[in-house]
Amino acid sequence: MPILEVSRVTKRYPGVTALDDVSISFEKGEIHALMGENGAGKSTLIKIIAGAEASDGGEIIIEGESHRGMTPLDAKRAGVSVIYQELNLVPSLSVAENLFIGKKVGGSFIGPDFKEMRRRAAQVMRDLGSNIKPETLVFELSTSQQQLVEIGKAIVDNCKVLIMDEPSAAIAVAEVENMFRIVRELRDKGVTVVYISHRIDEVFSLCDRVSILRDGRYITTERLRDIDRRGLIRHMVGRELSETFPERRSRMGEIALEVISLTGNGDFDMDLTVRKGEVLGLAGLVGAGRTELAKMICGDVKPVSGEIRAKGKSRRFGCVSDALNIGVGLIPEDRKSEGLFMDFAVDWNIPSMSFKRLSRFGVVNQKKVEALTDQYVDALRIKTPSTRQVVRNLSGGNQQKVVVARALAAEADILIFDEPTRGIDVGAKQEIYRLMNRLAETGNAIIMITSDMEELLGMSDRIAVMYEGRKTGELAREAFSQDRILELASGYSV
Amino acid sequence: MRKSIDFCQKNLALVLLIFAGALFSATTANFLTVTNALNILNQNAYTIIAMCGIALIMIGGDLDMSVGYHMSICGVLCAMLLTRTGIPVPVIVAVTILTSVALAMLTTFLTQLLGIPRIFVTIGEATLFQGFAYVITNSKTISNLPIAFKNIAQGTLLHPSLTYATLLMAAFVVIMSFVLSRTYFGRQVFSMGGNLTAARLAGINVMKMKYIIGALVGFFLGVAAVILIGRTGAAAANTAAGVEINILTGILLGGVSIRGGEGKISNCVAGILLVALISNGMQLAGWNPYFQYIAKGVIMLCVLGFDMFQMRRRSVMNNRRKEEAVLTARQEA
Ligand SMILES: Nc1ncnc2c1ncn2[C@@H]1O[C@H](COP(=O)(O)OP(=O)(O)OP(=O)(O)O)[C@@H](O)[C@H]1O
Ligand SMILES: [Mg+2]
Repeated sequence: MPILEVSRVTKRYPGVTALDDVSISFEKGEIHALMGENGAGKSTLIKIIAGAEASDGGEIIIEGESHRGMTPLDAKRAGVSVIYQELNLVPSLSVAENLFIGKKVGGSFIGPDFKEMRRRAAQVMRDLGSNIKPETLVFELSTSQQQLVEIGKAIVDNCKVLIMDEPSAAIAVAEVENMFRIVRELRDKGVTVVYISHRIDEVFSLCDRVSILRDGRYITTERLRDIDRRGLIRHMVGRELSETFPERRSRMGEIALEVISLTGNGDFDMDLTVRKGEVLGLAGLVGAGRTELAKMICGDVKPVSGEIRAKGKSRRFGCVSDALNIGVGLIPEDRKSEGLFMDFAVDWNIPSMSFKRLSRFGVVNQKKVEALTDQYVDALRIKTPSTRQVVRNLSGGNQQKVVVARALAAEADILIFDEPTRGIDVGAKQEIYRLMNRLAETGNAIIMITSDMEELLGMSDRIAVMYEGRKTGELAREAFSQDRILELASGYSV
Repeated sequence: MRKSIDFCQKNLALVLLIFAGALFSATTANFLTVTNALNILNQNAYTIIAMCGIALIMIGGDLDMSVGYHMSICGVLCAMLLTRTGIPVPVIVAVTILTSVALAMLTTFLTQLLGIPRIFVTIGEATLFQGFAYVITNSKTISNLPIAFKNIAQGTLLHPSLTYATLLMAAFVVIMSFVLSRTYFGRQVFSMGGNLTAARLAGINVMKMKYIIGALVGFFLGVAAVILIGRTGAAAANTAAGVEINILTGILLGGVSIRGGEGKISNCVAGILLVALISNGMQLAGWNPYFQYIAKGVIMLCVLGFDMFQMRRRSVMNNRRKEEAVLTARQEA
């Protein structure tokens, strides 16, 4: 008997059918991947399983018991834990308190027994192979450590089904391995893990079976042993899709941007150059100071010393608009807090960097706004029922496309992409790569910060590697090697 | 049907205003006359003018709690200059408005200097202004303002109840509606209220904008103060005390969120008028003024609650999780 069964579940939102008569069953003790393009309905499905959204039809069967109109508490009682993509810990509380939030741990009516709580928390974290101290406050932890705490929380809850929504998107390569190890251990203990990811390699190396959704419909469930990469992609996108990095024929022009011994915001003595038509990859582990560098270049943070030269002149950017005026634009990595106006519509977000250009005598030309929005919704194939849709209601990947669209719409020609394809599906990735190529071919300079090794090797003309706020090396295309990059990224200088 | 429900939700204040208006016309003789309508507008002209500024601040994601004493201090300054010096009236009006602008920009400066939100700076300032207002007036009311000055607010055009104050208010409302909904400036204000970081990274000079918004608020409050004392013909330290509550309630009724990023001036006007009608109704019904405070407090809390409810609906996901934690805690305990 399957431990969890989704039976004929349907969910409609105004203008979209997010799930259309979907049935999937999950066995005890398997790692079951859930895949599909952006907006396919994966997150919606898990929200329904977790009781966080009500379905419009169908039922969830947990250990043979049918649940209709399930609440989050019901789900938790039945042994379902979910780790959402946006982690949900309380930052100002300690690890131990987060682990046992809503739990009674010894003590009297006055309060919990904190000593006992810490002891048990330390045990849980040790079992996860981590030496995080239970009294550490959560905001001091890195994303991957926070994720471990979330997993720990699920273990404390004694979960039978652990659902993880794109858990690898926000953490570094080295940390992903550790997470895999833990997930496998959980499976061996009989926990069922539902694993959502857009990374195909990952799914092949970790998961036992995969279920695929497309446009809210269930397509198939396969054992990963019996299917190959191409087949998987075909099921997801519904057509053949070549996955090679598209050829780029760009001529390098003059130097577009030059950073000379730039210091500040946690970085030291950074030297970089990017030419017109070039894609410079910026590699490094999470915390290496790449985003911090990007923030200085785009004018958001003032450097302490050093120089930024753009288009042949030394520049001092007092704020982001100074940089934008010269044509330097940033596509920030954290779309929710830095890139999007979540409660505003698509036709506000996409032109949000361009309103000035779209106005005459201070009056915004709404026709041009609509035209620009439509242009980029088409170009990036952003899936939304209408351009009036509020961005909060888009799927994660489509939100990411909106962030990219907003910088492109601003006509910046020195572009800094900070993790441009995080959480984006295969097809959309190809579109973004092609777009970046087109941008490079037409003479734009691109700096690409990415934690995705394939993307780094496939897209860059040159790669600069950073470690703890310093540049540890630079590789030309001929010298690209994964090992060398990892070496430099962990601090072995030349 | 769906559409009309949607309309009512979005324009709640307007719908309620029409409803309240209908109720009064049915129960009170002579309510629904041009003269009465113009009188109501005239009485509220200064609140609506001040509202134009406060709505701007709120849509931009800030709050201002010093409105009342800010206006009072400008009012008494103006009245003192009028009665004790021989400076020409237009110059005094200009000086008053400029002082108001300077005060509001000072507030912006303090928010930056101290690094605390505008709401807290203005709570402190409210008391500060109150003190100054009492000190400079020596707690006396200044009356006998010159006719030339009173005419600015009381003069009429075309209809004996259509005052300059009302006309000015109408002009400001039209201009602000246009500015907020159609201009680049308006987009920047909404963007800042929607997500300050994203606004900054979109190239909006947030600092500069806060000063500009501050200056505009000062302008509107200065004009409102001039209109207020021009209409009543007198100024005292507590002339405008407490108007911030009426304005805030009106604006929230008008659909501006306390977190910023949304709102429409026309609905705010409806909100302010609704609050005015309710107070007016309570007066007509002969309610004890202290009960009126209670009623206003209840309305304010209801509106805030409604605002929170809408926010919660928006981030159901997040909140369900929190509720779930609380629930588990309760059940387990
Ligand atoms: N609250 C909502 N209101 C309206 N539409 C919604 C809402 N939530 C999701 N949708 C829509 O439902 C569809 C499925 O979204 P979902 O988030 O499940 O996609 P997903 O498969 O998780 O995609 P991604 O890989 O991009 O995260 C999308 O078209 C999305 O726009
Ligand atoms: Mg999703």
